[in-house]
Amino acid sequence: MTLARDRAALPMKSIRQQYGETLLSLGAQRDDFVVLTADLMYATGIETFGAAYPGRLFNLGIAEQNMTGVAAGLALSGKLPVISGYAAFTALRAVEQAKLDAAYNGVKVILTGQSAGLSYGVGGPTHQSLEDVAIMRSIPGMIVLVPSDAVEVDACLRAALHHPVAVPIYIRLGRGPEWTFNDPGQPFEIGKAVRLRDGCDLTLVANGSMVVEAVLAADALRDSGIAARVLNLHTVKPLDVAALQQAARQTPAMIVVEEHSVIGGLGAAVLEALAEVPHGPIRRIGIADIFPPIGPSHDLRASLGLCAENILAQALDLLGRT
Amino acid sequence: MALTFQPLSGEALVDMARLNRIDTARMFMAAGNGHFGSCFSCADIVTVLYFATMRLNPSKPDWSDRDRFLLSKGHAAPTLYSALIRRGFIPEDWIAEYETHVGSRLMTHPSRRYQAGVDASLGSLGHGLSIGVGMALAARLDDRDYQTYVLMGDGEIHEGSVWEAAMSAAKFGLGTLVGIVDNNGLCVDGRTDEVMPLGALVDKWQSFGWEVSRVDGHDLGALQQVLAPRRGKGQTRPRMVIADTVKGKGVSFMEDVRSWHSDAISEAQFALALAELGAVP
Repeated sequence: MTLARDRAALPMKSIRQQYGETLLSLGAQRDDFVVLTADLMYATGIETFGAAYPGRLFNLGIAEQNMTGVAAGLALSGKLPVISGYAAFTALRAVEQAKLDAAYNGVKVILTGQSAGLSYGVGGPTHQSLEDVAIMRSIPGMIVLVPSDAVEVDACLRAALHHPVAVPIYIRLGRGPEWTFNDPGQPFEIGKAVRLRDGCDLTLVANGSMVVEAVLAADALRDSGIAARVLNLHTVKPLDVAALQQAARQTPAMIVVEEHSVIGGLGAAVLEALAEVPHGPIRRIGIADIFPPIGPSHDLRASLGLCAENILAQALDLLGRT
Repeated sequence: MALTFQPLSGEALVDMARLNRIDTARMFMAAGNGHFGSCFSCADIVTVLYFATMRLNPSKPDWSDRDRFLLSKGHAAPTLYSALIRRGFIPEDWIAEYETHVGSRLMTHPSRRYQAGVDASLGSLGHGLSIGVGMALAARLDDRDYQTYVLMGDGEIHEGSVWEAAMSAAKFGLGTLVGIVDNNGLCVDGRTDEVMPLGALVDKWQSFGWEVSRVDGHDLGALQQVLAPRRGKGQTRPRMVIADTVKGKGVSFMEDVRSWHSDAISEAQFALALAELGAVP
C-alpha cells in the first residue's frame, strides 16, 4: 500500500522539548503550580523550568511512590502539583499512590508520563509502557489524556492546568521527535473528540502518535473513493461517547488505532461505549498481549502494524475492497 | 473554639485517654469486632495531640493554619474518631453506626470524604509520611507554621515508601514535620522483629537525617513534651518520636496479645473491657 502523502513532508518536533517549553511558558503565566520529578529533570526536559523557578521544582530522587504521595500532600494544602516522569513509572510504580493519595483524597494532581508506548522503543519492556492507559482509566475519577503531537501537547497541558476539577489528570506523552500536523488554533477541550476528516464510509478513531497515521490513511483512502472520518480521541476518559455513537450511526465500520495494549486501552474503551448501541464491525489495531521487541520507535511501531500503511490495508479489508 | 479551647493536662488528659478507649470499644461493639490492639496502643498519643498540643478549629475543619494529623496506620481510625467527636468535629451519635450498614459514615479506615477534621484518607500502609512531606513543603512555600504529625505503626515502616519519604523530609529540611512510630512490637502475624526485623530504630531514623527522641508512649507528660509544636524557623530537621507502647494497652486480656490486633469480641469480653476502663454501665 502506498500513501498519498509522505510523512516526510510534515515537520517534526520533540515531545520532550515541547513539554519543557510549555511548562516554562506556563510558569511565567501562573505561580500556583509546582513541578515534581524523580531524577528525571533533564530526561523530561524541565531543566529550563527549574532554572527559571528553582523554588517550584522539587527533585524527589528515584522514588516515585514518595513523589506521588508528596504531590498529593501539596495538593491537599492548596498547591497544584505536576509530576514529571516516565509513563512506565508514573502509572505503574506509583499506581496505588495515584489511586489513593490523589484520586481517593479528591485532589487535582497532574501526572505526566513521557516515553509512553513504544516512544522509547530501544529501552525495551522496562521502559516501554503499554498498560498505562488501561490502569489509569480504571481509577475512579481519573482523567486520561493522550495528545497526538507537539502542538496538541502544548494545548493539552494548558487545558489540564486550567481545568477546574478535584481529580487527578494523567497525561500520556511521547518522547522524541514526532510529526506535527495539528492546527495550532484548534482548541483542546477535555472530553471532546476532534474530527480531523469528514466521511461516512468508515470511521478511524485514534489518539497519541496514531492520529497522524490515521489521517495519512484517510487521505490515501480518499484516493480510492472512500471517505473516512477521523476522530482524534485525545481524551480516553471521560470518553466522548456522543461522538462515537454518532460515528457508529453514520458510518458502517470503525477502526480504532492506539500505541497501547489492546487490553484496556482506547480500543477497549470504544468497545465498552458502543456495546449497548447498534454498530457495524469494529476492528482494533494496537499491541497484542506481548512484550514487544526493541527498536527505534517509528520502525518498531511500523513493525507491529502501528502505521498508516496497515490502517489502510485493514480498512480496505474491512470494507471488502481488497 | 480554636482560641478558647483549654488544652488538657494531668488527670484530665489521662481521663480523656480513658474515654477514648471506651469510645473505641463501643464502636467495635457496634461492629462486632475491631482493631483493639492497634487502637489502644496509640490512644494516649492521639489524645495528647488532640487535647494538648495541636492547634485546631473544629468550626473550620479546613482552616489553613490548623496543625495536621495523618493517621498513617489508618486501621486505628476509631481512636481518631473519638478525638474528632470529643473535639466537636463530628457528632457523638456516629459511634453507634460504626461499620454497621451501607453508607456508614465511620468505617475501618479514616476518610476525608465522610469525616470532617480528617486531613487525609489513609489506610493502605506506607502512605502517610509522603503526604505529610507534601503538607510540610506547602507550609514552607506559604510561610505557615502549622505542624504536620504523622502516626505510623512499627510494622508499617516495613514499607519501602516510608524510607523514601524519610530521605525527602531530611533533604528539604522540614522542621514542621513530626513523625511518630507507635512501637508496640506486634504485627498481624507476630512479633514485628520476627516478621521483619527493624533493627536499631533510633539509629535508623537518625542516619536518615531526623532528630529522634524515644519515649514511653503511655506517659502522657513525656508525650506532651516531645509532641509540643516547634513553630520557629530554627527547627530545620524533621522530628521522629519513637513511642514505645503496649498493644492493647488498658485492657488486661488484650495487652501484648497478637490476636487482639483485630478480633471479634463477645458480650462478656466487651463488658469486662468496659469495666477495666471504668466505663459507667
